[in-house]
Amino acid sequence: MALLELEGVHTYYGESHILQGVDLHVEENEVVALIGRNGVGKTTTLRTIMQLTPPREGTVRYDGVDVTGRPTHEVATNGIGWVPEDRRMFGYLTVEENIRVAVPPEGDFERLRDEMFELFPDLERFREKEARNLSGGQQQMLAIARGMVGDNDLLLVDEPSEGLAPLIVEQVVEVLREASAETTMVLVEQNFPLAMDLADRFYLLDHGTVVESGSTEGVTAEDERIRRYLSA
Amino acid sequence: MMDTLTLLTTLEAVLVGDTLTPLFTDGLRSFFRPDTLARIFIEGLGKAAIYFIIAIGLTLVFGLMGILNFAHGAFAMVGAYLGGILMVVGLSSGSGTFTRIAFFVVVVAVIFALLTAVGAALEIGLVRPIYDRTPMYQILLTFGVGLILEELARIIASARGIQPEPTWAAAQATIPTVLGTPSEILLNLFGARIRGFYLFAIVAGAILAAIVWAFLTKTLYGLYIRAGSEDPEMVEALGIDVRKAFTVVFGLGIGLAAVGGVFLMWDPTEGPSVLLNLDVLLYAFVVVVIGGLGSFKGTLVAAIIVGMADSFTTWVFARGIIDFSGLPEVTIFLLLVIALIVRPQGLYGVEEVGGH
Repeated sequence: MALLELEGVHTYYGESHILQGVDLHVEENEVVALIGRNGVGKTTTLRTIMQLTPPREGTVRYDGVDVTGRPTHEVATNGIGWVPEDRRMFGYLTVEENIRVAVPPEGDFERLRDEMFELFPDLERFREKEARNLSGGQQQMLAIARGMVGDNDLLLVDEPSEGLAPLIVEQVVEVLREASAETTMVLVEQNFPLAMDLADRFYLLDHGTVVESGSTEGVTAEDERIRRYLSA
Repeated sequence: MMDTLTLLTTLEAVLVGDTLTPLFTDGLRSFFRPDTLARIFIEGLGKAAIYFIIAIGLTLVFGLMGILNFAHGAFAMVGAYLGGILMVVGLSSGSGTFTRIAFFVVVVAVIFALLTAVGAALEIGLVRPIYDRTPMYQILLTFGVGLILEELARIIASARGIQPEPTWAAAQATIPTVLGTPSEILLNLFGARIRGFYLFAIVAGAILAAIVWAFLTKTLYGLYIRAGSEDPEMVEALGIDVRKAFTVVFGLGIGLAAVGGVFLMWDPTEGPSVLLNLDVLLYAFVVVVIGGLGSFKGTLVAAIIVGMADSFTTWVFARGIIDFSGLPEVTIFLLLVIALIVRPQGLYGVEEVGGH
């Protein structure tokens, strides 16, 4: 049974029809990349999974349970972590407080926090610093830590390399690779080689539908079936 | 013909030398007397405490929910009347100072609990269905609730033979003598005649500020509220039921407004009256706008600034230095105008705050 399944999902922003019948599935322990040009519906797919923008048609099943139309906080507590596109730190909270918000009330905060600090030593160094004062790379680390810390089984990561220097991107990739050893992941990424490097499978979106999918093995941006959808 | 120099010299003698200078120097001399300084400072802190108490609920609600609650003043008025009823019914003319103050604390707790529950019910029943609409709907709804409460208070007070304006004197008179008259301690210390109520307000305001601060910074729920005031959608995506937090905070905001009303019941310049609706709403807005909508620290600092300005201008304009008793209020709104021009987001406000 797939950990995550989307069937015939149609999502709108007002009257704009963004997702036009998306079907996809993600197996446990897989890393799946969503690729495509800007504005094809990649971020909306993640928002639809979280029920932040619920679909008007179709179903989203997580771990065999239909979560369509459920409140977002319930979807999150079922075990889905979200690392949003622009990181969305709580800028006036400290690093430690940002992590605390993400730990369920009944969770062992100190253990989970220390696990994150082990994975992201920079965060421990700046634990008392307000998140708005961190560098872009540190903020991205914190966003990933916040998505992972709730003992989530599925992590939705949106554009983790966006706006980061190449050296920092390498660090982020390493962290995501480590995280993928323990967590199933859906990755939205504009950087095609990076996405192919991290993911086991991919879905290529265009105009709100899946137009290609398959294993990432040997896939390059030069493949005709990829190139015609990614080139401007 | 008089030359220019002579004209200026004459004008200076008339305006500055003979009229303004004595007024200025006498005023300055009077200002630096220990009793005046003590009076301005202590009354200023007392007023600041009152401003903080009436404004903190409004800023909490806006901070998390992005809702400007125009019924805030009406709930302060309800708190003042309910507090008055409980005090008048519960105390007798023979009740001593300790009994009166202890009973007042009980009344504050009861009214806070009751009005917090009413506020939570209001959020669930009326405010929640219009979250997805524009802020104008929320403003109109809460303003309408405020008007309904004001008219209800007017009708009920009149029916019970209580004058709705200017104040319900019987409730105001439940204040113990030690708080309603100049404090002996301050009289002995500084020679200043300052009502004990202001000392009481300072202590109460400090306790309330400490409780709200501890709630926001030391509890998990307070952390959710601070996070939610920055980005409620993100908080929801981390597994926290933001709607529940909205209900709790709206309830607390109303409860705190009512607590402010209970304090105003004893305030020598206010007292229970239907006029409290607009008075509290205006002053609370001035404080939260100067401090920065949604900021606890901003509300505290702005309350101190407004309280001190109020106390100072009251001394200047209402106690005989310059006889113009309407000016202290004007000064407070002048502060608001300056704040809006110089720093529109307020002292500690951020450009974007609130979830809607």
